[in-house]
Amino acid sequence: MTFDIVVILMFLGAFSAYLISKASLKAGAYATTVFSLGALAVLLMGRSEIGSEFSVLFMNFEVTVIGWYFSGVMVLVYAMTSFFNSFWMDKMMYPGSYNFLYLFSLAGTLGLFFASDLITLFIFWEVVVWSSTFIIPMGKSRRAAVVYYTISSIGSMATLYGIMLVYRISGTLVIQEAFVPLKEDPLTATVVFVIFVMAGLTKIGIFPFHIWLPLAHGSAPHTFSPVLSGGLVKMGAFIAYMSVAILPAYEAFEGSLKIMGIPLQLYFLMILGAISIVLGTLMAIKQEDAKKLIAYSSVANGGYILIGILMMDQLSFAGSMMHLFNHAIASAAAFLAIAVVAYRTGTTKISELGGMIHRMPLTYLTYLIAIISLAGIPPMGGFVSKWLIIQGLADRGLMFMALAAFFGSIGSFLYVFRPLAAVFLGQLKPEHEHLKSEPLMMKIPMVILMVLILYFGVLPKWLLGIIGEIQVAAGIEPVMMSGNTILAVNGVLNTLNVFMIFGFGFLISLIIFLLMQKSRRVGLMDTYTSAEFIYTPELYHYAGAFYAPFERLYQNHPSVEKFLGAIAWKFHELGTVVNALFFSHKPAVTVFWTSVILVMITLGGAGI
Amino acid sequence: MVNPVLLIALPLLLAFVSIVFKAYKNNLLVFGTLLNAGLVLTLNKGQYIIGGFQPPFGINLVLDDFALTGILIINGLFLVITLMSLEKLEGFASVLLVALAGLNGLVLTGDLFNLFVFLEITAITAYILSSASKEYRYAFNYLVLGTLGSGLYLFGLIVLYAVFGTLNMADLSVKMAAVDASQLVLPSLLIFIGLAVEVKILPFNGWVKGVYSGTNSLVGPLFASVYAAGMLFVFGRIFAQVIPLGTYLRTSLVVLGALTLLAGEVAALSKTRIREILLYSSIGQSGLIAALFLSGLVFVAVMQLVNNALSKAILFTVAGQMADSTGTDEGEELQGAFLEHKIAGVGFTIAALSLIGLPLFYGFISKMNLLFGIFYSDNYWLPVVILLGTVIEGTYMVRLLVKLWTPGDEGIVSEKAFATERPLTIQSSKVMGIVVLSVVLLIGGLLPAVIQDNLTDSGSLLDEVTPAYLFDLKGGQ
Amino acid sequence: MIQYAGIMLILIGIYGLLTQSNIIKIIVSLNIFELGLNVFIISVGFVREGIAPILTSVNNHNGLVFVDPLPQALVLTAIVIGLGTTALGLAFARSIYRQHGTLNLDEIGGPSNG
Repeated sequence: MTFDIVVILMFLGAFSAYLISKASLKAGAYATTVFSLGALAVLLMGRSEIGSEFSVLFMNFEVTVIGWYFSGVMVLVYAMTSFFNSFWMDKMMYPGSYNFLYLFSLAGTLGLFFASDLITLFIFWEVVVWSSTFIIPMGKSRRAAVVYYTISSIGSMATLYGIMLVYRISGTLVIQEAFVPLKEDPLTATVVFVIFVMAGLTKIGIFPFHIWLPLAHGSAPHTFSPVLSGGLVKMGAFIAYMSVAILPAYEAFEGSLKIMGIPLQLYFLMILGAISIVLGTLMAIKQEDAKKLIAYSSVANGGYILIGILMMDQLSFAGSMMHLFNHAIASAAAFLAIAVVAYRTGTTKISELGGMIHRMPLTYLTYLIAIISLAGIPPMGGFVSKWLIIQGLADRGLMFMALAAFFGSIGSFLYVFRPLAAVFLGQLKPEHEHLKSEPLMMKIPMVILMVLILYFGVLPKWLLGIIGEIQVAAGIEPVMMSGNTILAVNGVLNTLNVFMIFGFGFLISLIIFLLMQKSRRVGLMDTYTSAEFIYTPELYHYAGAFYAPFERLYQNHPSVEKFLGAIAWKFHELGTVVNALFFSHKPAVTVFWTSVILVMITLGGAGI
Repeated sequence: MVNPVLLIALPLLLAFVSIVFKAYKNNLLVFGTLLNAGLVLTLNKGQYIIGGFQPPFGINLVLDDFALTGILIINGLFLVITLMSLEKLEGFASVLLVALAGLNGLVLTGDLFNLFVFLEITAITAYILSSASKEYRYAFNYLVLGTLGSGLYLFGLIVLYAVFGTLNMADLSVKMAAVDASQLVLPSLLIFIGLAVEVKILPFNGWVKGVYSGTNSLVGPLFASVYAAGMLFVFGRIFAQVIPLGTYLRTSLVVLGALTLLAGEVAALSKTRIREILLYSSIGQSGLIAALFLSGLVFVAVMQLVNNALSKAILFTVAGQMADSTGTDEGEELQGAFLEHKIAGVGFTIAALSLIGLPLFYGFISKMNLLFGIFYSDNYWLPVVILLGTVIEGTYMVRLLVKLWTPGDEGIVSEKAFATERPLTIQSSKVMGIVVLSVVLLIGGLLPAVIQDNLTDSGSLLDEVTPAYLFDLKGGQ
Repeated sequence: MIQYAGIMLILIGIYGLLTQSNIIKIIVSLNIFELGLNVFIISVGFVREGIAPILTSVNNHNGLVFVDPLPQALVLTAIVIGLGTTALGLAFARSIYRQHGTLNLDEIGGPSNG
């Protein structure tokens, strides 16, 4: 009962946020926080509602475990990010509309996750797409919004074709029933599967549809990038889950060619996911802009999530569900930390920053914990989810996928360290000497996110319990835990013990640090090397071309951006050709074409 | 019981009066449009005989659901558009009254030659209105092509008369259905070409670019919304209800419609001037609706037609007003234009999103219905073309919208300071009209039943209203 | 026979539209096209050994063989429409001449494609 009120209330909340913003911009931004926190509270309290159904206008909804989980992740990210909204109100082009679209897109995602028939699903999918399309150009790039919309549209239209095809075959649009007749016919099932999952692929940003991610996430307003990366990308994972779990893909493809027990169609998608991991990692390593870097890391992590969902087994699936949550909060935390830096300094270019730890230590700590989780290092949550995914891959014998996953993990050490060292550590530039620390409203969500990342890395039991329920609902074996230990085929993981060891080591190093002699602080320019005086602080801070030797290895890589850009240009040229051929100020051109068509069709008709 | 011939006769009468009393032209025009819009609401369905001669010998007016929808849209939009842009009338008031009469006649008539006459009347008023932009070479091009098209239509019509001996639509539909359609490829094709020139199907639409790209805020929406709707209703009447097409001709013409859709959308992609983008979008939508009519899906074609008419009215009004008051409609020059005109901007956005077919707007409902309809008739390639067209349309519309809302070069955060400094004024009459039309699109999207109930049975055949006659006409016996 | 003449005229008109670039010549071609069309329409109404479809004091009952009057009525209407269109076309020609100083479409040029 409570959930339809949540959905309706969020839409109304969007309108009221707009109206409140007309009175006072800051109040409008606070309204977004209030509404999204309210939604979070209702969701958490409404866990018992799982299984209920409701309808609004002509759309039908059903509260499933996975819908509840996904929307929980989404609302959490939205709520945490909304704390930052008020600080950009005076710089936004349309602050009132921003607040409106912020809550509107949130309402759209809620409707999406609870949809019980395919048309409702599609309606809310498109609502989220167009409401987020109009927020992006308020940032740095108009082109980003167009690319985002185009690629998203390609995916949505393919999925729409799939929905229509399914309706033609099965006669129903209810999600749980519509795919049932496809189980018998593997060829149609393959076609429907590939077309239907397209929206998911384009939304997660899987190769080759990933080019919009760095553009959109990198150039969007600073308070919306966390939502885009941590939240909206997960919508794609939802569609991917639906295609695999509800089709159900494994049953439908029983008779097809199998590689290591995985049907060929799914294996092909897993290859795309693996390529995304490698590609995202490599591209992230060479980025000069902090936000673009984290955006490419979202590409890589999207690959992890996709691979896990496609596996549909005990371990990898649980791992990817958990990685969904971990990546959402870690990516959001990383983007928020960069947003704080951008708020105070006005830039996100790594080469222009440095030494931020001296001015904003809490932000540094947030970023540190976030990237530890993103890189998959214990004791943070990211380690648990990546461990589960790789366990599952290794168990099935999918060595190339596991290799890609390992490469992604190791590569992520490289790219997450780069902003840490270049932006937060190192030397503080003289022009940033006067900066103040982060405001209180920004501190709150960062602290909350840090606590969540740490908590679910140490005690993931609650989270894995929910994931277990999802797995049971999908018909696969749930991940097993005994006490605090996660049981897997090739080993066990007791996160509490791992944390204890780390904590112990940390404690020992802390004691040593406190006991030892303190360092002496000197000014940045007070130095002298081989008869040369340093004349500019830039030279002293290592920030640009951070991994130059490694980057040189793949300098001349083939670029998907250029390829897709060439295709787009061909369409443009086709338009010019059409214009030149058919449109003129002389009637003779059209009379010519008229005669041609007349003669051709008449003679063709006479011939038949 | 009000006779719908008044919808044609009254504006004609007022047109003649306005030539005599030149000073009251504009008032007579407003009076005429209001009168027509009011009359539409009082009409009853049925067949109305003109001149006392029973059909199929005489001319009759057919008012079925299809025609009722047509005159509702035409008169309603004509009223709104005229009231929105009264300052642009410039002496065209008499022509507009004749145009109103002609458009009503197009949709109401039940006789094919009467249709030819109304086609020519409407076309001549269109030629005159297209000269408002002072680009006479394009108006001349339009005139030549339009006359050629009508001539070919008449040619095809006469061939049909020579074969079947009747000009009445219902009678002809019965007689033609009894014959193998593959024998009648030539006259059907000629009639198609004649209508296709006005309906803007490739490659007969060479006149569209020149004419539409110079229109002001009155003539633009009239052409793209009211004239387009009228011509498409005629097209639907002829090809979905009167002339049965054989498989060969049907497939070729549907392919032609689909090609028009793709060509229009792709051409729009390469343009940067707002009116040019919109005119190519109009071409694409016309191709789509024509393809739907040719496939026999009358109901969904009418829905798409209504959506297109409503959206284009808003879009062309704003675009025309931008061009008139700032002197340009280049997207680059008008960046951030909506900053000072938020209501008009929101209306423009709603119209554009409805045209693309995004949910919460009426365009989504019509797109869903048309896709369902096409899939139901087991046509699997046409939806691919339509969806590809939708993607392309979305790309250039979003590109345009983003430019108009958020100014600034690439790589710089959008700021109010970057907005265009050209003096854009949008009159409150326009804003009110835009609000009314946008609200209709929103209501249609959220509560589709409201519009659907008025559109049901638009696919009803003429036969249900007029009994068929089987007389032989040769020699007056 | 007449029908072939009509169709010949139609084709000549279309040929003129295809090849002429002078505005007046285009209007003339259009008129030739319409002329041919009208001739064709009248010829459709022909009935062998039929008399003019007018009831006079001599031919005053329905049993006689008339030619079909309907196409003749259609042609009358078509001629008038052609008249109106030609008048409008010539008005446009005059305006074009005043604007551009020439009546040749090749010299006037169209918009730049870009």
